[in-house]
Amino acid sequence: MKLNKRYVRNIRSNLSFYISASVLTMVGLLLFYLFYVAGTGIGKYGDDFFSRNNREDASFTTMDEISGEALSELEKKFDVQLEKERYVNTEEADGKHVRVFRANKNIDLYEMIEGRAPEADDEAVISAGYAENNDIHIGDKVTISGREYKVTGWFLRPDYLYMLENLDDDYKNITTFFLAVLTDDAFDKAFEQPSISYKVIYNDTDNEKDFRLAVNKEYYTLSYLSADENTRITFVHEQADMFILGAWVMLVMLPFITVALISIIIGRKIRSEQKIIGTLSAQGYKRSTLMLHYSLLAVIPGIAGGVLMTIAAMLLSDKFGRLGLADYEPMQPEFKLPILIAAAGIIIPTVIYFIAACLKVNKLLKHDTVELLSGSVGTQSKTHRMLADTKLKVRKKFAVRSVLGNPGRSFVVFLGVFLGAMIVSFSYIFIDSVRAVGSQAMDEFGTFKYEYILNTIQDDTPENADPVMVVAYENTNGKRFSLMGVDKDCERWNLTDSDTGSKCDIEDGWYMSSLCAKIFDVKAGDEFTFRSISSLEEYTVTIKGIIKNGYQNYIVSTRENASKITDIDPSLYNCLLTDESRSFDGDIVQEIITSDTFENQMETMLDEMSGLVYALIIIGAIICIAALYVSINMLVSENANNISMLKVLGYDRRKIDKMVLNGNHLLLIPGLILGMLTGFGAMAWYCDAFVETEGLMIPVAFSLPHILLTICIVTACYFVSLFLVRRKIEKVDMIESLKDNRD
Amino acid sequence: MFIEIKNAKKQYGTGEAAVFALDSVDLSLEKGKVYVILGPSGSGKSTLLNMIGGLDTLDSGELIIDGRNISKADKKALTAYRQEDVGFVFQFYNLIPDLSVEENIEVVADISKSPLDIDEVLKALDIEKYRKRFPKELSGGQQQRVAIGRAMIKNPKLLLCDELTGALDTKSSLAVLKFVEKINQSYGTTIIIITHNEAIADMADSVIKIRDGRIAKIKENTQKKSAAELDL
Repeated sequence: MKLNKRYVRNIRSNLSFYISASVLTMVGLLLFYLFYVAGTGIGKYGDDFFSRNNREDASFTTMDEISGEALSELEKKFDVQLEKERYVNTEEADGKHVRVFRANKNIDLYEMIEGRAPEADDEAVISAGYAENNDIHIGDKVTISGREYKVTGWFLRPDYLYMLENLDDDYKNITTFFLAVLTDDAFDKAFEQPSISYKVIYNDTDNEKDFRLAVNKEYYTLSYLSADENTRITFVHEQADMFILGAWVMLVMLPFITVALISIIIGRKIRSEQKIIGTLSAQGYKRSTLMLHYSLLAVIPGIAGGVLMTIAAMLLSDKFGRLGLADYEPMQPEFKLPILIAAAGIIIPTVIYFIAACLKVNKLLKHDTVELLSGSVGTQSKTHRMLADTKLKVRKKFAVRSVLGNPGRSFVVFLGVFLGAMIVSFSYIFIDSVRAVGSQAMDEFGTFKYEYILNTIQDDTPENADPVMVVAYENTNGKRFSLMGVDKDCERWNLTDSDTGSKCDIEDGWYMSSLCAKIFDVKAGDEFTFRSISSLEEYTVTIKGIIKNGYQNYIVSTRENASKITDIDPSLYNCLLTDESRSFDGDIVQEIITSDTFENQMETMLDEMSGLVYALIIIGAIICIAALYVSINMLVSENANNISMLKVLGYDRRKIDKMVLNGNHLLLIPGLILGMLTGFGAMAWYCDAFVETEGLMIPVAFSLPHILLTICIVTACYFVSLFLVRRKIEKVDMIESLKDNRD
Repeated sequence: MFIEIKNAKKQYGTGEAAVFALDSVDLSLEKGKVYVILGPSGSGKSTLLNMIGGLDTLDSGELIIDGRNISKADKKALTAYRQEDVGFVFQFYNLIPDLSVEENIEVVADISKSPLDIDEVLKALDIEKYRKRFPKELSGGQQQRVAIGRAMIKNPKLLLCDELTGALDTKSSLAVLKFVEKINQSYGTTIIIITHNEAIADMADSVIKIRDGRIAKIKENTQKKSAAELDL
């Protein structure tokens, strides 16, 4: 069909539209692919890695050591696999913390990803994230317990893919903390009395309860942590699931919006061809032929954008996926874009553009052919009388009518600003919110400067410190929290009831942190049932009130009340709150929490995530510029006759800009405000939805400098688009356009 | 002379497709007169009008209007020239559809240094009662009167009319031509009308015939008729 010759010519004459529409399609798909590839790659790697290295189902510690023989008996009796893990925590002179392991033989095996296992007594392998982050090479020396070891390689462990030094930490530490494995001989020589924990894999999960009760009965369980509650393990799949969820949200949101946006543009471009459609119709062209012709023109950006982005995604899927690895140890997932997803990425926008074009042509062809030939369909808006009786300058009336009288076109302009503001603000709100955690967390903890969590129970009376008893419990579904007993006149721990603002009457009952209340969906006055992680005995307490603390997951009362549940003498403690740093005799400090702890963790998180965050800002800016360019370009095309006439009448470029383009300024402010509000809302939703994954309630914050920066970036994108389109206004030829003006 | 055109040349296209729209045109026009330019399609009359109106530029030659050399003017000077000195009326009116009658005229008044009173113009063109209407709501003749009003509001020295009755019926054409005549008489505006319709030539002070980009003939009209007397 000769009509098909128009395809190439139409692309040539509307090249900027096809490029912009294709770019928009690509950017929309980019976000979907990026999140999908990262999520599926990480999830699959996690599954394979866990299976290959026999990831634990749980780990536990006991008061009495379990002998090798007893372990074998337990394995037989409860159909489980057990491993006695030996490790030591050391603090080196340079401030580095090392967790040194004797290599496990059955469960939670370490997997070398570079170099070889240690063979000599002066050799060690270390965790890969630390090695990479600190630029350590094979052959370099590391100090462990004051002695130098030659690094022979680095490894990953299934229970440390998310490198939390302490389970309660909110972000990984790969700057001052690492794992090390020595040869068995070297370990035994260096550490005579290592810490011991046990790893278990249940071949039959039905036996879990009986196994735990039996262990507690014989050896008294001190701690029990199932893999489902171990953030170092769960984070792999939680983050992978979050990426996949994000991908589908992106597919629904951004590509849908960009596709809707392009569909609107296609509709308007087809309307601008109504004279040709009318002419062809008058010549006897069938409705179906015309629909097919225009639909095939419309699918070009879908196919071009879809194919280009899919090829790019396939080629760059590894780079895409690695953007999602920021939080983990240097895992080696294979990032692939599945064929079906790639096909969906091409087909979905293409089909939507096809349908949009079909519907538009069909709608146009419902009009009288004469009407089409005159080009008058849809040219008179219902708002053309707006402001007719006002004394406003004609230029302003024209601008307002142009914006309000062309809702589709204005919506595209609005959407461009909105999407840009939403994505850019979301990125900055993420940065501000994470920083707010660092700066606000300690205020919610209390007035202490140091919180020392000890690995043994102490019975002395500490001076200038508040002693606290902290014991881990779990709810009936196995979700963990801390039960805390503090002195009733404790000043250093935050004991302010968030509802009343007065000091909690902890002698009279139990209070819960707001994070704990959120995780367990508990309100003041509710009963809360939980169980001992060792005996599985259940307890029920009434929560008197909530303490604002979005970073720690606990219930708190007096040491006496806590004693009634823990059965530990109220004079004992295993945690100290102090105003100054202090040293302890022996290796009894399990964890130190200071204001720096949180700030450092949050800054590390920002450093690691900065690639993804800034990529999002760039994507937001591209969407903003492309959408605005397409829509304003369309505005100029649709106003070519008016522009040429204004030129004839003696309007200079500046005045024409004011009249034709600057009306869109009206959309800039609402687009910015709504975009930023939506970005804020999206972050609030994210923080709320992922409280458990993140283990903290992130306060959603948007700083003034970042608000201004968002406004500047989006406004700059807007004016860049206007600047690009201005050249098109200059190109509008007075004589040619006037020739076209036939009514 | 009000308008002096010397050896004006304008070529469109190149090589075998080259067309000389204006080929060594020399022309002198006086102030305050009505000129009609006649010629077949493609003869170069619209090109000549576009040059005089500052819509396009000559390849060579000179175009001096009221002592100002337009052929050497830059874009900015041409814009200023169109803004103050010249008014256009087109065959298809070229009104801005989103603006009412009053607003279409105001759009020019807004950028003019000393515009005429809009009420006076609306009254003179007998379109006062349509001032709040929009182009779509008017007949062709009424729209053309609005276009004349828009051209006249700036009180230009020169009014250029390109086939101004080409889309109108006889009655409307006569009415429009009467208004053009009235403008010439009331404001002393120099008027150049391009047309195919030889009958209109009778109302001109001078008739210029143009063919293949050249001036074929210039005829002084000794028996000039008023617009009302025209036999269209």
